[in-house]
Amino acid sequence: MPISFEHVGYVYSKGTPYEYQALKDVCLDIEEGKITAVIGQTGSGKSTLVQHLNALLLPESGEIHILDRVIKAGDKPKHLKALRKEVGLVFQFPEYQLFEETVLKDVAFGPKNFGASEEEAKKRAKQALKLVGLSEEYYERSPLELSGGQKRRVAIAGILAMDPSILVLDEPTAGLDPQGTEAMMKLFYELNHTYGKTVLIVTHDMEQVFRYCDRVIVMEDGGVRIHTDKDTFFSDPEACRKMNILPPVLIRMKELLKANGFEVADDIITEDALADCIARQVKKHG
Amino acid sequence: MGNITLGRYIPLDSPIHKMDPRAKILAMLLVLVAIFMPAGWIGYGIIFAAASLTIIIARLSFTFIWKAMKPMLFMLVFLFVINAFLLKTGDPLFTVGSFTLYSDAVFQTLYIAVRLLLMVMITTCLTATTKPLDMTLGIEDLLKPFQKIHVPAHEIAMLISIALRFIPDLIDETERIIKAQESRGVDLKEGKIMERIMAILSLIVPLFVSAFQRAEDLANAMEARGYAPGEQRTRYKVLKMEGRDYILLFGAAALLAGMVWLAYFR
Repeated sequence: MPISFEHVGYVYSKGTPYEYQALKDVCLDIEEGKITAVIGQTGSGKSTLVQHLNALLLPESGEIHILDRVIKAGDKPKHLKALRKEVGLVFQFPEYQLFEETVLKDVAFGPKNFGASEEEAKKRAKQALKLVGLSEEYYERSPLELSGGQKRRVAIAGILAMDPSILVLDEPTAGLDPQGTEAMMKLFYELNHTYGKTVLIVTHDMEQVFRYCDRVIVMEDGGVRIHTDKDTFFSDPEACRKMNILPPVLIRMKELLKANGFEVADDIITEDALADCIARQVKKHG
Repeated sequence: MGNITLGRYIPLDSPIHKMDPRAKILAMLLVLVAIFMPAGWIGYGIIFAAASLTIIIARLSFTFIWKAMKPMLFMLVFLFVINAFLLKTGDPLFTVGSFTLYSDAVFQTLYIAVRLLLMVMITTCLTATTKPLDMTLGIEDLLKPFQKIHVPAHEIAMLISIALRFIPDLIDETERIIKAQESRGVDLKEGKIMERIMAILSLIVPLFVSAFQRAEDLANAMEARGYAPGEQRTRYKVLKMEGRDYILLFGAAALLAGMVWLAYFR
């Protein structure tokens, strides 16, 4: 397991009237080489959880194993750089972190901080920009004059250029248009399937979870309520609703069809397969 | 950064929290003046007792006051060193080589320390028990009489409330950007000079960009809702002085009168 949590707790503003327990006794293993979705309502502890993954927040209790490091509660670990290079964390609305004069320089900022030479950093920046679909004409432009979606891509390229083995994304598609969202999710899918990176995505979009992710973690009230694979998770739409999660369209469609006398196999997970299945039954009954 | 205590509102339920902000601001001003009366140790003792009583009624903790006081300690030590070398009056206390410490150096520093402590106590009683919005309403009302000499009371209050409103946002934003840049390998604590400058630049630029963006958004939002400075406006919240507010004001005025008497007429 690249990352595992053992009884991790975290409290914000300890010892003040604002004290707030964000994580409670979290035990969790994140599988290598999979895309894991972290879902849950606002305030359920998702963002706090992901900030523990690269030791931006340190546990108040319990311990976390990240790759070959162990971070125990109460430790004051040093030299976290190596860790942060391996676990690339993309924050919500990451476009706010852009600051360099040119796109290329901004993307090369990460690798340079982790000790890459100027040339090496530029090379990696170019690769990362290509991955997120920004062509050469953007290299010398100021990141501040790009559109929102382009800025987002530059920011994500900034993390990809560090070449982390684990990529953690906090709501990476929030505020993007449908095409942008689609392209972004495909990118993460490719990073996982082609480049073998472990990906963790915080999201509210069940369609994305359904189409791109392998594993699902449901956070609730600072704890992990469910951690299972995607198919098991969506096989019980009623349980999803009980957690205030609206199942994806395809699952809801299957439910309606079943309720109206159609026979729908559980292993149908694409729209085309479902359409075929319905067509066959309609023909049969004329 | 979340542990800045000076000037922070603490949401509790106490009689002091419920008081009219105008009464609290006026009372604070009166007591501040009282602190600067040369009323001697008896005077300071009385003010300390009154301030402690207020803190207890407001259900604030003394550790909170102590935390607010901490940043001042360095300044006091510095002041003591200067006083020790410059003030050569009073009784000599002890001599080390050619240096002699006089009693006035100690007393002067102590005086200032006590005044500072009292001021922190009193101002904390105000800021910790008054919502920033109520505070600006109070300031606006208190400035009203000066409108006759063209003091823009409403605009000043609006400026203060906007500035106060943005402080927590900007603190959050700074924390967020620090974390985002730390994730990109920025090290704010270690590194060579050039790396450090780069690190600070990577915070300041995004912070400025987002601050200007926020300012613009807010200006648009205000305009969209028809805000025009200088227009006659009604208020959702109307302040009303009650019995306890007059008691507070009377108490503060009595304290000031007492200090004046102790200082000049005894």
